Amino acid sequence: MAYTRRNQRSLSRAERRRFVDAVLRLKRRGEYDAFVRTHIDHYVSDGENRRRVAHMTPTFLPWHRRFLLDFERALRRVDAGVTVPYWDWTKDRTPAASLWGEDLMGGTGRRGDRRVSTGPFARGNGWIIKESVTDGDFLTRDLGRPAAPLALPTRQDVAWAMGETVYDVSPWDSTASRGFRNRLEGWAPGTGDARWRNHNRVHRWVGGHMLGGASVNDPVFWLHHAFVDLLWSRWQRQHPDSAPFLPERPPAPDEPQHRRVVARREPMPPWRTTPQDMLGHQGIYRYAE
Amino acid sequence: MEAKGTRSGTVRRRHLIVVAATAALGAAGAFRVLRGPAQEERGRPGAPGGPAFDETYRGRRIQGEPTTGGGVHGPGGWRVTVDGKPLGLMRRADGSYLSMVDHYRSYSTPLAAARGAVDELGTRQSLAGRLH
Repeated sequence: MAYTRRNQRSLSRAERRRFVDAVLRLKRRGEYDAFVRTHIDHYVSDGENRRRVAHMTPTFLPWHRRFLLDFERALRRVDAGVTVPYWDWTKDRTPAASLWGEDLMGGTGRRGDRRVSTGPFARGNGWIIKESVTDGDFLTRDLGRPAAPLALPTRQDVAWAMGETVYDVSPWDSTASRGFRNRLEGWAPGTGDARWRNHNRVHRWVGGHMLGGASVNDPVFWLHHAFVDLLWSRWQRQHPDSAPFLPERPPAPDEPQHRRVVARREPMPPWRTTPQDMLGHQGIYRYAE
Repeated sequence: MEAKGTRSGTVRRRHLIVVAATAALGAAGAFRVLRGPAQEERGRPGAPGGPAFDETYRGRRIQGEPTTGGGVHGPGGWRVTVDGKPLGLMRRADGSYLSMVDHYRSYSTPLAAARGAVDELGTRQSLAGRLH
């Protein structure tokens, strides 16, 4: 029986508490920090001559789908009634949204050190950062980046990605000029903040830990990526005649991306899971849209 | 946490080697030598990342120099520190640089990436010394 992932704004007070409690229990058991490490370890940039599975690569979407499934399975071992909610950042666009309330994500960081001091993920309430690139052991945020304000992606930004009829194109990296994957991931040409769109821009808007390799430290990471995952499902529905994943076959030895990207039926480390395995989620979960 | 300490210890030793080589060869010449043909430039114009730097930016000392060979973040590596703590940099396919503090945008040079990291650190945070 498939379970349902819901918009975070539709959760009742009790449902919010159950989700938060399950996250806190994973943290206390040490399981949460293993997810933080996995994400750090798999961030490989496309200027490096190594295999990329998580970012700047066609498997950005299936890799994160599997990552979310693992997290959700861990949550559901704690509380079988919990699923990962999604944050539709085209609609809940300000730090005043209920998402950032004290009973869900908590609010922005304070000035100076950007320390989050409200809600369940504040240091003072017991959320201790253990895997980070900064020396503080507290979660940081800078919602909306007030010193140089930045808006969340809009419906038009999402449409710019959804309108692409091809999943991804060569060179299969952050410089791909077309393709749904790179446009949703959010690497765009141009100048200034226009270069960081959709998924990338949300990481920037939240700021603090969400900006770095250790972004998973901020539980809003999961709500953000659930919406990215929903958009992938929606794109598939809107483009039933498009190949659901590309490349179909691994790049040949004489091609620059040889052994640097994963093709449709190759495993995505650290799992044996292939993009093909992640093309649909029927029978596992559905989105209430 | 123990692993973190070990990693940054390794990094510190590697840094000393690079510093020693630089001193022996004389700064300007050394960077030309260290850059070498081993780095993958893929036909990008200009020098890989610009000259070495050592400056104070918003009260933080930021230093950077190109390193030989692979390094933690692959070819085209730079050794960058903020107040003496290493800042991991990664290269994008378009030749720009991402820092460990800031993975969802990139900067045209290591200097710009280091300044961007300082901007994001704010006034009261420091790097933990973790490269990856």
